[in-house]
Parts: sequence; C-alpha cells; structure tokens
Amino acid sequence: MVKQFANFVIVVFGVLLLTFLLVHMVPGDPVEVMLGESAAPADRESLRAELGLSQPLYQQFGSYLSKLSQGDLGKSIHTQTPIIELIKQRYPATLKLTFLALIIGLLIGVPVGIYAALKNNQWQDWMVMLVSVRLSSMPAFWLGPMLMLVFAVWLGWFPVSGMESPTSIILPAVTLGIGLSAILSRMTRTSLLEVLHDDYIRTARAKGVSEYRVIIRHALRAALLPIITIVGLQMGSLLAGAVITETIFSWDGIGRLLVESIEKRDYPVTQACVLIIALSYVLVNRATDIAYRLADPRVRFAA
Amino acid sequence: MQMACTQSDEVSAASSKKPIRFAIAQAPLNLDPRYATDAASERVNRLLYRSLVDFDAQSKPVPQLARWQRVSPTQYRFTLIEKEFQKFHHGKPLTAHDVAATYASFAQMKNSPHSAEFSNIDSIKVRDAASLDFHLKIPDPQFAAKLIIGILPADLIAAGHDFSHQPVGSGPLKFFAWDNTLTLQRIADGQLITLSEVRDPTVRVLKLIRGEADILQGDLPPELVKYLQTQDRIKVATSVGSNFSYLGLNLQDPALKNPLVRQAIAHAIDRQAIIKQVLVPGSREAAAILPPEHYTNQSSYVANDYDPALAKALLQKAGIQLPLKLVYKTSTDAQRVRLATIMQAQMREAGIALEIRSLDWGTFFEEVKQGNFQLFGLTWVGIKTPEIYAKAFGSDQLPPKGFNRGKFIDPELDSLIQTAMLQSDEENKAWQAVTQHIHAQLPYIPLWYEGQFVAMRNDIQAYAPKADGNWDDFMRIKRADIQDSDIEVTINHAH
Repeated sequence: MVKQFANFVIVVFGVLLLTFLLVHMVPGDPVEVMLGESAAPADRESLRAELGLSQPLYQQFGSYLSKLSQGDLGKSIHTQTPIIELIKQRYPATLKLTFLALIIGLLIGVPVGIYAALKNNQWQDWMVMLVSVRLSSMPAFWLGPMLMLVFAVWLGWFPVSGMESPTSIILPAVTLGIGLSAILSRMTRTSLLEVLHDDYIRTARAKGVSEYRVIIRHALRAALLPIITIVGLQMGSLLAGAVITETIFSWDGIGRLLVESIEKRDYPVTQACVLIIALSYVLVNRATDIAYRLADPRVRFAA
Repeated sequence: MQMACTQSDEVSAASSKKPIRFAIAQAPLNLDPRYATDAASERVNRLLYRSLVDFDAQSKPVPQLARWQRVSPTQYRFTLIEKEFQKFHHGKPLTAHDVAATYASFAQMKNSPHSAEFSNIDSIKVRDAASLDFHLKIPDPQFAAKLIIGILPADLIAAGHDFSHQPVGSGPLKFFAWDNTLTLQRIADGQLITLSEVRDPTVRVLKLIRGEADILQGDLPPELVKYLQTQDRIKVATSVGSNFSYLGLNLQDPALKNPLVRQAIAHAIDRQAIIKQVLVPGSREAAAILPPEHYTNQSSYVANDYDPALAKALLQKAGIQLPLKLVYKTSTDAQRVRLATIMQAQMREAGIALEIRSLDWGTFFEEVKQGNFQLFGLTWVGIKTPEIYAKAFGSDQLPPKGFNRGKFIDPELDSLIQTAMLQSDEENKAWQAVTQHIHAQLPYIPLWYEGQFVAMRNDIQAYAPKADGNWDDFMRIKRADIQDSDIEVTINHAH
C-alpha cells in the first residue's frame, strides 16, 4: 500500500515537472497573447510580473507546487477564473463521454470478438478482423465528420455537434468508442482462442454443459484478464482521444479546454488539464489492478 | 426581483422569433473593448458599443457618436451628435462624462493592449454633457482615427463592472446571455442572435446544411465554399476583401536585402492562377497593404506580373548562384500549406528552391516576431489607417516596439512617413509618396486581398459580407417566412 502510494506520488510529480517544463519551453508568451504586439514594453513587464512569469522557472515551479499542495490549481491567466471551477464545469462532460465510449467499445468489441473466435478461420472471422483493422486505423478527425454526414445530415438522427440535445453525446461517443471496439474484438478473439482448446473447456463440453455456458461462464472468464488490461490501457487513450473528438464535436470537456489553453498559452490551465488527465490515468490503472483481483483469484491470493 | 421580471419579459418578447444562429470558428475572448484584440471580439463589440469615430467605405474616419474639431495641434474637441444622444443598455444616458471615463480609464490600466495607443493623451476635460476636449502631449493629426474604442458607462467603470463577460454598451445589439453560446439581442425588435464556436470548418458546413446553424462567414477552405454553392437550401454571397496577404522577408538576409532579389521573388509568383484556382471568390491581386479603394490610394498600383524568365534574369543580375535556396515559414493550416506548396512549384521555374517549414500557429508567430525567418506568409486583418506603414516599415519600429519584423531600414522612407504623419486625414499626397516608395522597394511581397463570403440558409435575408469581414449586418439580418416552394423559385432564378 505504501509502495503504491509512493509510486503514485512519483508519477504525479513527474507529470507535474514534465508538463511545467514542456509548457514553458513551447515558443509563445501569454503576455503577448493577452496584450498583443502593440503593447508598451513597460506594460508587458508589469503584467509579466503580476502573473509571476518574470520569476526564474524553479521559483515558478516551487510556487506552483506550494499552491497545489493546498488544493489551489491557480487561476486562468486570461479569464482570471479559478481553474478548479473550469475543471468542475468541464471534467464531468469528459467523463460522461469517455464512459459512454467505453460502454460502446465493450458492447460492440466483446460480442464481435466472441463471434469471430467461434467462427475461427471461416469467412465471418476474416470479415470481422478486416473490418476491425479498418476501424482501428480510422482517425477521429476523419471518422467524426463521416458519422456526422451519415447520421446527422443524411439520416437526421442526431445533432451534428454541440451539447444542446440529450442525443448530442451519441456521435462523439461512437467516434471514440469504435476504435476501442475494434481493438477489443481482436483481443477477445485471440484470448478466447487460447482458452477454447484448454482441457477444462473440453471437460466442460464432455460433461454436457451447454455451449453458451461454456463460452460465457468458463472460457470468457478465463479470457477476461487480457481484456481488462486492454480496457485499462485504452481508458488513457480515450481520455487523450477526447481532446480531438471534443474539439470536432464542440463538446465542452476537458480536452477542448486543454486545446484552448495551449492556443492561448494559458500555462496554469494547460498544467491543470494535463494533471487531471494523468491522475485519471493513474486511477484507472489502479482500478484495473482491483479488477484483476476480482477476475482472477490467483492474483488476489498472491497480493 | 425586478431584474427577473425584466429578463422574463425579454425572453417572452424574443421567443416569438426564432434565434438566428451564427457558427463561428473562434468565439470572442473578451467583450470589454478596452481589452479586446481578437477579430471576433472586435466584431461583436462594434455591435454592442458605439464609438466616437468610425470609418467610411474609403476607410476615412467619420463621426459615429461625435463630430470633432482640431482646436490646436494638441487639442481636439468632440461634440456628441444630438440625434445620437442615447441610452446605455442599463438605462443611463450616454454623455461626455462617459466618453471621458472610458478614455481616462486607459491611464490606470496596465494590462490593456490599447493603453499604448492612448498614452499620448495628456488630459481630458469635459466641457458639458455633450462635449469634451482631448489635450495631447505631442501633436497627432491622426488622433481622431484612434478614437474607435466603444464607449462604456462611467458609473459601471467606477464600480469595476466586468465588461469582459457582461458587456453594457449603447450599440444596436445588447448582451443577453453567455454560457457555451453567446446570445445577443437586437434592441429594435428583440431578435436574438446566437454565436456558437465550431472550430472545425467541415463541421460548421455540416451544421449549416443540417439546419443547426443559419449562417457562417469566412474561415472556410475554397473547396467547402464551392460545395456549399451546390447545396439547394444554402445561398452563398461573396464580396471583395481588404485583408492583405503578403510574403514577409528578412531584410538582414544577405540575398534578400538586395532589391533585385525581392523583385525576382515578386515576379516568380503567379497570383492570378492562385486566385483563380485555390482562393475564395472575391479575392484580388494586391500591390499595397491598403486596398485600392482606400482614401490614401489615389494611384492604382499594379502587382508584379508573373514572369519566371524575368525573375531568373533578375537573380542572375543580382549575382545570385541558382538555384537560390530560401526557407519559407508558415502555419500548419491546410490552406496555408497548400498555398506554400503552389508558390514553391512556381518559384522553382524562376530558379528559387523554396523549402517549406510549417509550424503550429504559436511557434510560427513567435519565430516571425523573433525575426527567425527568411520568408514567411501572413495576413494583415482590418487595417484602416495608413499609420500601418510606419508601424510595419519604420526604422524605429523593430520588434518588440513595432511590427517591422523584417528589419527594413530605409531613412528615405522614414522621412516620407514622418512628413505624412504630420498631415491631416484630408491631405493624402504624402501617403501616396510613402506607398509609391514601398511599392518600389518591396519590403513585403504583396500577394492578394482574400475575398469575403457568407453562406446562409435560404430563409436568411438582409445580410451581406463586408470587405473587412465585420458583422455589422446583424443590425438588419432577418429570417424570411418563406415556404419551400418559394425557396425552389429563388434557387432556380439564381441559377
């Protein structure tokens, strides 16, 4: 437990330090963005000092860490809004989108993977794998507009973008989830194929257990560990992918906030967004560990 | 309670009309005119606030709220136009005290991008409710043209009101709400106009086609404009533009400081072909920063024609060993990269080997400001006053003070600019001499004024694109109550 907490602290500190350094290394100056080029040099210096940007980097980082340890993420340089308020406004939207994408990925990916495993080396298996490779290679910035064209413009089922309607989440979630479903279907197929030839499956079949029970109760449970690993890892990709998807679909989540803050060189907001995404990633990994223990008694007892 | 009732009444009055929905590429960042610098904020602020001075079609400063008189070289008197006496959106009348408070507030503001513009104001004296005097530290014949900041109410300035997010002006539209979408209300008839940020151009087009947006303006690649022109329920209006695209040059570079090399580059670009093939309709060749219709442009300058053989001969005359290798920096915007690629192919014919480096906007602009370039491509947007020549080419305007990013040092031009700056707006011969000199020296390679366009649903009326891309027609825009059959007739007629 102590070791895990220490790991957590090291990861978070590493993320903070790297983000801080990278954000400050990127060319561009928030003061210039705010004041424009025509501002008087004295005004620039005055604002730079006011924002704490004239201090040496290590002092800025120290002051940032000190505030962070008190739960203060700072204020947006541009709007002067407390960043915690921005995160509170935007993060739930990203979580909603990511979880729905995950559900879509699971609902499509796992059954399709099972089907492909059961039809191993038949044309249905090849088709599923072909489509899966195609889907996993489609970038969100292409897939998103294509889904909009078909399901919003031609069929009129969903809004093109925005957050006004309850159905607005469907297309961005599908855009995010479809890539995951492709990966999950391949992983499920491979894992199932590995266990389907094991002795205990043969025994179950010999005992007259129905094929449904053999697949769902015996084979799938054993094949679940690699799937959990992929789901855990892909949650991070979903959060990262949300940056593009949210921008395309005008979804006011943390990904869009991150893009806006980078463009405006709003350092504190960029750092806070990256921190939140990194923390989410760490927490999801922790949740994956717990899921491992639940799914596999060997891991539980070893721990 | 009173406020709640007022809001409720407004909503019910406005609800009788469906809002007109405008999809924009970039939402306004700041609706306080003392801070706003981005194009979207400035366009919205023109509608929310009124200023003392505006510009006519020739970009000549004209009265909006007030007439002016130059009492002495350092004293300007502004008198509010009686018919323009009007109220702010919170009910108080607009007087000379509000004008004085607005401009006086710059002296206290250290983080306004416009403070430097008004640092020449020594004092402001209110004579009565309708007139006031500006006293300057040094004479400035162009001073009136600078008073284009929207006037804010003095009482709210004193109270430290947050104009950035809850603007209160005296313009034809007033602030209504701002969550994910900015909503404005036209005072004359209660019509609501919403502005939603949709960053992706393809998505903006799809929203317009689907009917989730009623209108969009500019910021689309030409192929999407052409696609919209084929859509039955969409109409596209175009106009000439005045935003000036150019190639910036590093004039400290051994090759580029030679005027013959600059002329060669100017002759190596086929502007007509680019305008015809890859720019939006309404684009036209440029020969100077300010467009031909500008009041200082009495002579019409002609862009250097495309002549790769002449370009090559000029390079050889300049003693350049061919091919001349140059690095061109631009942003990662797809259209900018496409234009760069076309110019690269055209310049190859003239013996210029152009290497393209596309960088993200922040990095690219920083490189330009730092002078880390040989060639770059940029556009001047919304330029109205000839002072731009001083800021862009004056020897004393090197960054960070001014915009002379190519470090063009020319004492003759400095002298011409100085003469022109001391003349009033009416006398423009001196500016013509400045323009003539710049045209000959080519510290920039002029490219084109990119055309303006608006795409809107067929039921939207009374909106047309403007040369500088402003949104002033929101004062008039309306939704026609037309049937689909009427739309067909209109389309057929248009074809």
